[in-house]
Amino acid sequence: MPGRSVRKKEQRLVPEGLLLFRDNILSKGNIFGATSKARWAKGLELPAQGETIFFAGCGYQFLGEAEAILAAVRALDKRNLPWERTLGVTQFLNKRGINLGDLYGKITRRFRRAENPLLSAVEVLQGMDIDLGYLAEEEPCCAAPLYYAGFREEFAAQAEKTQALFKEKGITKLIGMVPSCTFALRSLFPRGSKGRQVEVSHFLEIVWEKIKKGKRFRLPREVIVTYHDPCILSRYLSLTEEPRQILRSIEGVVFADVERNKEEWSTCCGGGGGFEVIYPEISHTIAANRVEELLKTGASTIVTSCPGCLIQLREGVKKLKAREVEVMDMAQLLRSALPEG
Amino acid sequence: MSKAKAYKKRLKEAARDPKISVALKRAIESYRKNVDEALKKFPHTLKLAEEVRGIKEQSIPRMEELAAQACEAIRQNKGKASIARTPGEALEIIEGIVGTGKLIVKGKSLTGEEIDLREHLEARGNEVYETDLGEYIIQQLGIKPMHLLAPAIHVPKEDVAKLLSRVTGKKIPPDIETEVATVRGILRDKFFRADIGMSGANVVAADTGTLFQIENEGNIRLSTSAPPICICLVGMEKIVPTIEDAFKVAEVTWRFAGYTVPAYVNLVSGPSKTGDIEKVITYGAHGPKEMHVIFLDAGRSKLAKDPAFQEALFCLRCGGCLYECPLFAVTAGRFGDKYFGGIGAIWTAFVTGDLTDAAPLTYSCLSCGRCKVRCPMEIDAPQMCLELRKRITQGS
Repeated sequence: MPGRSVRKKEQRLVPEGLLLFRDNILSKGNIFGATSKARWAKGLELPAQGETIFFAGCGYQFLGEAEAILAAVRALDKRNLPWERTLGVTQFLNKRGINLGDLYGKITRRFRRAENPLLSAVEVLQGMDIDLGYLAEEEPCCAAPLYYAGFREEFAAQAEKTQALFKEKGITKLIGMVPSCTFALRSLFPRGSKGRQVEVSHFLEIVWEKIKKGKRFRLPREVIVTYHDPCILSRYLSLTEEPRQILRSIEGVVFADVERNKEEWSTCCGGGGGFEVIYPEISHTIAANRVEELLKTGASTIVTSCPGCLIQLREGVKKLKAREVEVMDMAQLLRSALPEG
Repeated sequence: MSKAKAYKKRLKEAARDPKISVALKRAIESYRKNVDEALKKFPHTLKLAEEVRGIKEQSIPRMEELAAQACEAIRQNKGKASIARTPGEALEIIEGIVGTGKLIVKGKSLTGEEIDLREHLEARGNEVYETDLGEYIIQQLGIKPMHLLAPAIHVPKEDVAKLLSRVTGKKIPPDIETEVATVRGILRDKFFRADIGMSGANVVAADTGTLFQIENEGNIRLSTSAPPICICLVGMEKIVPTIEDAFKVAEVTWRFAGYTVPAYVNLVSGPSKTGDIEKVITYGAHGPKEMHVIFLDAGRSKLAKDPAFQEALFCLRCGGCLYECPLFAVTAGRFGDKYFGGIGAIWTAFVTGDLTDAAPLTYSCLSCGRCKVRCPMEIDAPQMCLELRKRITQGS
């Protein structure tokens, strides 16, 4: 067993951005160290229990916050200024009684429903007659960032706590929104012998099932759409046909698939494995490269299904000054294609 | 500045350098086209790659035994062979053969790069010429290689013209054909005046002691056959049981490097010889009289015993993964140390450095997984990078 000082020294080798994620997850149960994660759902009156639980995930719950912090961090990194502390601003402000999560929550709430992937997803799922529960403030963190940073013991401990919570609440089905959470809950969590196994689906799988059974979506006007495969969905969860089938089934969508696609060749948005908080500037360059590939399709709308990719691609579009191009979540596109009334 | 900080700085500078991203964009496009065509023309390659993975799975755990067998076979061919456990040992053996004040021509060798072979020989008062065109450019510019197979990938023809004008004292135009002819002219007499020729090998057959050297320029065959002494430094993981296995490994290697077939594959098993006069075998005919092979361990045998990471030794160094890495596309060889990309992080941790050296590399991996898709050996470098992160946090 290495002594405490040895461990400390080794942990200096872990990038600061990932250490902050770890500390936030361990102390606050979310990657941003915010005190509230469920503000987005205010007014939805989703029950706090049920057999099928909507697992929103940090990435979507703090989408606005993450986007703003990353933009700030990138601006500093480009000027070669130390930006690591900016990531820690959350803790700094928390200590002084200011909660950044709350602050951004207020901004996020101002977002129109169509612009919020979570609100859109809930509306789409409910529109398909699915009874959803949402654990709200009790929603545990999937802790995947701990796994990716190398903190396996901490990850295993979180996983155990989470599994116990699911068991206690009698949850049998989860609908994941964030690819990384979905993968962690489905594949990285130890297959314990204790209790029932929770069935973990991704939002796209649920939607595709319903479309197969006859559910129809229609856009008010025709749009050329391309799809970006999030690495975790494509290469880790093999979810590549479902999004394409969904897009092809939406009336009004002209689907233009990108050349580099699916499990084999889809290109990373530059935000994999926490890279964006280790190398913010380079991550931005990689995002722009991916957007360039996607725009070769002639699409005016890039659809994806991951909060990390969403932020990256939006930043990439900005970098390329492709002002006419819109990046949106599949949930948003589906919501705008819901039948009226 | 800490190692990690210095690395970060280099990585950022590379990502800001338009020369790198433009060159890589072209290289990636042409690689994908070439490899697609090569695989279409020779579709059996995919099946063969599976077979080669099987050969590697068998060979790596038997590395010690195969190395001993290869040494014995080379000795029977009247070559000299040894196993160097550390870079220091390898340098000592080579410096013992070379001495000082010699003219040396050298083929591109990653294993040589691994132990800074050229720098050491130069420091001992030898005149060393890299003869691979890209490597020659790198050597003359005094910079580090940026790619396994195309070390000067980021240097445009205008810069090469400037460099060659300086070397020759004549005005060389930025015309690629003229540049290639100029380097041919410079190196031509070096090959024949050289005291020693050096190379590595892509794969080695343990049963016959045969080294396979894949190349296109013809510089390796000149380096290993024109001078009177030939020295080859080879990583121990390159040895497979039979010459038949070696052919398979070689074919998969060049195909995934993007070639239907390379211009040359040299098979070298020992010094040159003739029995043409009275059937008396005499060594040193037109080729070298002396042939030395040094197998380098330097952490490989330890890595072979680590179940979580031994797969890294299956790497054929075809370079395919690098063309699929989104980070490599903007930083080239700056994402790496002696070896590049995600797989480079593992080699850094176990072979050329330690966990401290490997940490910034392993935390650079996007874990997007596309390198694994390209890899003919299906090496899961991203998963190994995550395992490495685990060891880093555990301090072991």
